[in-house]
Amino acid sequence: MNSKSILFISMVALVSLLSGCNEDSKLSLSERSIIYCSEGSPETFNPQLSTSGTTSDATSKQLYNSLIVYKGQSNTLGPSLAKSKHITRDGRKITFYLRQDVSFHQTSYFTPTRLFNADDVLFTFNRILDKEHAFHHVSGGQYPFFQSVNFSELVEKVEKINDYTVRFILRRNESSFLANLATDYAVILSAEYGQQLTNSNSKHEIDILPIGTGPFKLKDYRVGSLIRFYRHDSYWQGKAKIEQLVYDISPRETSRLTKLLAKECDVSSYPNAHKKIAQRSDLQLESITSLNVGYFGFNTQKAPFDNKLVRQAISLAINKQALVDNIYRSQAARAKSILPTTSWAYDKNTPELGYDPVRAKSLLAEAGYPQGFTMDIWAMPVQRTYNPNAVKMAKLIQADLKKIGVKVKIVSYEWSTFLRRLSLGEHQSFLLGWNADHPDPDNFFTPMLSCSANEIGNNRTFWCHKEYDDLLKKALKTTDMSKRKGYYAKAMVIINDEMPLLPIAHSKRFQARGSDVEGDILSKFGGISFYQASKKAKLVNEASN
Amino acid sequence: MLTFTLRRFSLFIFTMLVLTLLSFSLSFLFPGDTVINHSGQIHATPTELVELNKVYKMDENIFSQYNAYLSHILQGDLGQSMASQSPISDEIIELLPATIELSLVALLIAMLIGIPLGFIAAIRHNKTSDNAILSFAMIGYSIPVFWLGLLAIHTFSINLGWLPSAGKISLLFEIDFVTGIQFIDILLSDSPYKWQAFSNASAHIILPACVIALAPATIFIRLSRAAMIEVLAAPYIRAARAKGLSFNQIIFRHAIRNALIKIIRHVGLQFANLVTIAMVTEVIFSWPGIGRWLIESIYQRDYTAIQSGLLVLSCFIFLVHILTDFIYAALNPLARGNNHGS
Amino acid sequence: MAREKTYLEEVFPSPFMQLWGIFRKTPVAMAGFCCFIFLILLAIFAPILSPYSPVDSNLEMILLPPAWHPDGNVSYLLGTDELGRDMLSRLMYGTSLTFGLSFIVVFFSLVIGVVIGSLSALTKGIKSSFLNHFLDVVLSIPSLLLAIIIVAILGPGISNTVWAVAIVFIPQFIHITRYAVKEEFRKDYVLASRLDGASNFRILYYSVFPNIIERLMSQATLAQSAAILDIATLGFLGLGAQIPLPEWGAILANGLERFYIAPWTVYLPGLAILFAVVATNLVGEGIRHALKLRKEN
Repeated sequence: MNSKSILFISMVALVSLLSGCNEDSKLSLSERSIIYCSEGSPETFNPQLSTSGTTSDATSKQLYNSLIVYKGQSNTLGPSLAKSKHITRDGRKITFYLRQDVSFHQTSYFTPTRLFNADDVLFTFNRILDKEHAFHHVSGGQYPFFQSVNFSELVEKVEKINDYTVRFILRRNESSFLANLATDYAVILSAEYGQQLTNSNSKHEIDILPIGTGPFKLKDYRVGSLIRFYRHDSYWQGKAKIEQLVYDISPRETSRLTKLLAKECDVSSYPNAHKKIAQRSDLQLESITSLNVGYFGFNTQKAPFDNKLVRQAISLAINKQALVDNIYRSQAARAKSILPTTSWAYDKNTPELGYDPVRAKSLLAEAGYPQGFTMDIWAMPVQRTYNPNAVKMAKLIQADLKKIGVKVKIVSYEWSTFLRRLSLGEHQSFLLGWNADHPDPDNFFTPMLSCSANEIGNNRTFWCHKEYDDLLKKALKTTDMSKRKGYYAKAMVIINDEMPLLPIAHSKRFQARGSDVEGDILSKFGGISFYQASKKAKLVNEASN
Repeated sequence: MLTFTLRRFSLFIFTMLVLTLLSFSLSFLFPGDTVINHSGQIHATPTELVELNKVYKMDENIFSQYNAYLSHILQGDLGQSMASQSPISDEIIELLPATIELSLVALLIAMLIGIPLGFIAAIRHNKTSDNAILSFAMIGYSIPVFWLGLLAIHTFSINLGWLPSAGKISLLFEIDFVTGIQFIDILLSDSPYKWQAFSNASAHIILPACVIALAPATIFIRLSRAAMIEVLAAPYIRAARAKGLSFNQIIFRHAIRNALIKIIRHVGLQFANLVTIAMVTEVIFSWPGIGRWLIESIYQRDYTAIQSGLLVLSCFIFLVHILTDFIYAALNPLARGNNHGS
Repeated sequence: MAREKTYLEEVFPSPFMQLWGIFRKTPVAMAGFCCFIFLILLAIFAPILSPYSPVDSNLEMILLPPAWHPDGNVSYLLGTDELGRDMLSRLMYGTSLTFGLSFIVVFFSLVIGVVIGSLSALTKGIKSSFLNHFLDVVLSIPSLLLAIIIVAILGPGISNTVWAVAIVFIPQFIHITRYAVKEEFRKDYVLASRLDGASNFRILYYSVFPNIIERLMSQATLAQSAAILDIATLGFLGLGAQIPLPEWGAILANGLERFYIAPWTVYLPGLAILFAVVATNLVGEGIRHALKLRKEN
């Protein structure tokens, strides 16, 4: 008799467990929090140290502020931590007047005793500029974005005028300087926290346990699984609407979408099945035209790609339109050059290398490879706006190149290994892309293909062209828009002839969210911010489905 | 019972020896430097390498190398993960309980479903319900677990929206790590959302546990059916029937008890099977357990983690084996005399 | 009355024919057997039968649903995948990989297992006891886990998967052969031929093997259904067959990326695996059932 009753009791227990998990008891907590399904782990919590979109998505606008920001949709600069600025007529002295009511995060590892002031700005920028600075070499001493725009060469020094006034003195006038300060990378760190870490001899923690002025503060981070943020209650623009923000790190697209469909996350990055989301009344899909380019690059230092003809031949053999249609599912425009057509500097007359396998074959023969050759394509393992599926794109390119007798081997590594090996130049060709940090056209030309980007390993084509670099420098020295446009047009012609890389597409950035999430999250220049986001009361959820 | 214990103990020692030897030799079989595979310190400087070589006695003969390796393991030092550079023992302590928890729940479900169904099939031997149960068992035994998991997620999480599809609890809840067994940790925590967390965690475990349970459940069906058929044919059942006991009395008083004892023996073996199924299921349900960790380690070529993870997992499986052997022996004195540990 | 036959000759079928006689009377087992034969034929003739290449992509026909769907195309009966490859062709080629390889794997480990098993059955003492203990340890580790270990050592790939799964199944064949041979050696007919002066090897070959072959076959079907599942699981986890091989588990894993757009790329390979495993299990079940009945008669 007893075994039957045990069975019965356990069945009852199981059933009660099942029914015990109804949704409304969770309401209170979930209404005040947002779970974001993100596509990868950040490499660091300091966006100055990385140019990856995943890192800046997880850090820049959540944890930090910069001195100035891009305002809304109208490509103009507005105040942030600096409430106003003054620029001398020669453009070489720029003075920022700082806000006096900004407080840093208070966390379990740091309690600020003072508000934000000029010391913090000096600490932040001297760390990047001054090789002798106590923190310069902490975390490797590489500041890829700043190096790619030649920041330390440009800025002579940063001066503190008084507690709430700082002045940047430049060696020359450069039109994109302010735009660079408004990017997601130019975030302000706390000098006081730096001091505390110096005292406790744990300087490396500055980029692992971050302290900033942003709307959220870090609570918990588990590599590859989650990032938990709490609200920064004394945020200077008023506290955020949600108390808790959790990044659920899910690299697989399908698992992100599954979690979104199963309501386990509220917002998901880079969703793939647009039709499926559109069918559901309780989900919505949004997109923003961002400034980016996905491209196919060649290692110009390695045979056979040190030969211009080979690069041209391969580029001619690739059916770009088919790639755009199949990989981006027509959510992107075919790239004619590295600069998106929406940029003001884009010249309509820029020539484009078309699709012409016959000419490709003859060029290949001219270059001395009538029988073709074997090459490798390195396809990035993660999806990005500019390339949602690099491995699949590599497979399509493989099929295209087979037609002109070139055999392709596809190589892919885990993301950080992939980037490291790329910068060492182990590849022959690679699929990658670039997300603009600000709308200035220089942000496409200099960080991607200049010689200085080459030196720090950001320019993985290792292409360094004197004439091209000179054009970029000339373009930066002038503020005359039409002159700049002319220089950039010439630069595009050079790229088109030299073909260090083949631009493929400019795409939109997509995001899906539950209908109960309100407020803007996507911003125009790549990044995301949860400061405005909030949740509607749960009533809506009952009605849906 | 003493000889039984001694025999099991010697078997245990022998197995541990074989398993540690195996994991020791893995360091040689994997690509790369042996001592780095042992320790996982891929960023070691030349001086540190010399130090490591000394600690692992790499310049001495293979026996003292093995000895050094063994002493490291006995001290709880499994090296550090090549991928995350944190001590592997810490990672395992955090992840193994989650796998145990999931497997135990699955085992419970498998037994609760499988054994009664098997008994019913045996009692109604060669009738329609017997055939129906056997066909069900055949399908359940043949279905690839990863596919089943996907179907379950698609049906229950997405189309019906009843149960969550990933993880062991909603990320909104912060539960401090105490034992690693989620339910115990929740009960120990002082979070204001304790009971919400508890029901949330139960909702998360149902789907993966049921998916894991299906294949072992079908095996329990076969085992319990065979055991029950055998028991029902035994003379004492005939004697009981002759005494005039009703059919129900015979089944519940005599048959079930005796059949259950036969089944308990197989629980240990099934547990091993179940842990493997759990490894695959963890990948599909993003369950933060040791199986998913191990498979990720293979992807990342984290040899130190693979080696230590395998050692711990197989030791654990073997311990469960021995444990069930003991339980069986305690319940059934006849088994104690059985030798050769088969 | 003329009798044509002087002696009543009773045709006494061989044990194997007896088994077959019982087996063919079980309809379910016969159905499984037909499916099994069908799979074998498919595995061999897939290159001739399949309408398209399993690896070449066709950009005009990407993610076509199966023919019964309104958007489907009859020339692509089961639809296409994300690179425009015909699902039917991929599944047919997959038969020779997943099912065909499992066949080879089992044959291979059967032969090795039987050789080692029968040799060890003839040994006694410490060696035998050591082997016994060792087998216990190895058998206590589940086959998939062991296969994962071996793949971890050898590195991912289809040939390494085959090796791994083959090695994994050897111990169970050793175990069952050893057990069966020992049991047979105790029987009188072995004693009889021994008295005739036959060597151990001769006894094994002429007397013992014909009597244990069915048991080995039944074990082999069990092993094969497990081998199909293991190969597919390794393929699914990305540790077995690599892109672009049309191994069923790998096709399924590949389709996972587009699960919500093209669910058939996940459902179909799963069904194929299920079909193959069920067919194999039905055959095995039929053999065991027939063995039991023959013994009872």
